[in-house]
Amino acid sequence: MAAAVTSRLTTAICRQFQRFVTVSSHTQPQYATQALSKFHSCQQRQMYDSWWFRSPINNRALHTSCVRKGLEEFFDLPENWGELTVKSGAPWTAKQLRMKSNEDLHKLWYVLLKEKNMLLTLEQEGKRQCVQMPSPERIKKVEKSIMRLDTIVKEREDALRLLQTGQEKARPGAWRRNVFGKTFWYRFKEHPIPWHLNSRYKRRRFFEPLHVAPYTRLSLEKYLKDKMRKEKKEKRNEKKLSAMFPKKTAHA
Amino acid sequence: MSKRILYPLFQLGNPQLRIFRPTFNLTLVRPGREQPADTVQFRIPMEMTKFDVRNYLEKIYSVPVAAVRTRIQFGSNKKRNHLNQRVKRPDYKVAYVQLAQQQTFQFPDIFPEKDKKSEEGSVEEMQEKFMEDERQRQKPDPRRGGVTEWFGL
Repeated sequence: MAAAVTSRLTTAICRQFQRFVTVSSHTQPQYATQALSKFHSCQQRQMYDSWWFRSPINNRALHTSCVRKGLEEFFDLPENWGELTVKSGAPWTAKQLRMKSNEDLHKLWYVLLKEKNMLLTLEQEGKRQCVQMPSPERIKKVEKSIMRLDTIVKEREDALRLLQTGQEKARPGAWRRNVFGKTFWYRFKEHPIPWHLNSRYKRRRFFEPLHVAPYTRLSLEKYLKDKMRKEKKEKRNEKKLSAMFPKKTAHA
Repeated sequence: MSKRILYPLFQLGNPQLRIFRPTFNLTLVRPGREQPADTVQFRIPMEMTKFDVRNYLEKIYSVPVAAVRTRIQFGSNKKRNHLNQRVKRPDYKVAYVQLAQQQTFQFPDIFPEKDKKSEEGSVEEMQEKFMEDERQRQKPDPRRGGVTEWFGL
């Protein structure tokens, strides 16, 4: 009998608890929006209160993405203002970035771009007020991350292009010779008309004239001699050093 | 809208040009001359145009833009180095962006004065402590009730 009563009690309590839980889950987003509005008002900025909170897209109960929007993103978090140092993590490594999907990388690019804008703004304002910017190493870190992300995306583009078209370079080109007999990589360009109608293109000469040929040979000779001379000098220097310092450490 | 990229030639009917990874960086600066409340001043790269600034702010930062005006600031060429050669400061482009929808912007004070606490074990902290001790030592003895030092045993 007693056991039955206790079981009924526990079920009632459970039900009540469940109701409480559901209620709380409904009310939570409201708290979040309230906190958000407080956050905005505490910064004493009037610019978004009207526009941002009235727009229908942002009246959803739950925000899953970053809610800080607009020109505030050009500044650091208000709690970091006036600090001497701001903690920051390591830059993204290429290894970490390779594991991300294209979509993630695209999002990350904009995150990094905004971060860099923020840091540049901070740096400029510091320069203006003759104050040291807090943790200036962050700029280098962001730049490194951006550079690595760029290389990763290019890698992927290259791989895809190689698979689809077999072309090694994004911009096609060819080895050509100019009038002075120098070989260089000519990158192709789009033209609105075919080349035989393009008088400006036809004026350019991509060949070595006959009277230039001996000089090309001479320049090659000069280059090779110079190379040889440098190698010999290096060897002589090494020999001299090894004579002066007969230990093994001299070679290292 | 991006540096070091060769854009495809525009032909009628081609798809719109899209940039997936813009490389431009804007710097929001405090205006030197006083500006209207809805105007924001930026330093932008030389290659950027008014349309680029508008697209950048509207698409990336979702800021409503009414108008953009730009100018190029000449960097001073007056400074001389130790060899008496002229040293040029780089030019830059300045953009004045007017916000739409009655928005206003005021540049916040991002370097407010905070009470500074020197680090544990640093020279400044030790100096501070020493000065505090000295000040304590220099104070007259409260038990004497304001009677001068020389008066007494």
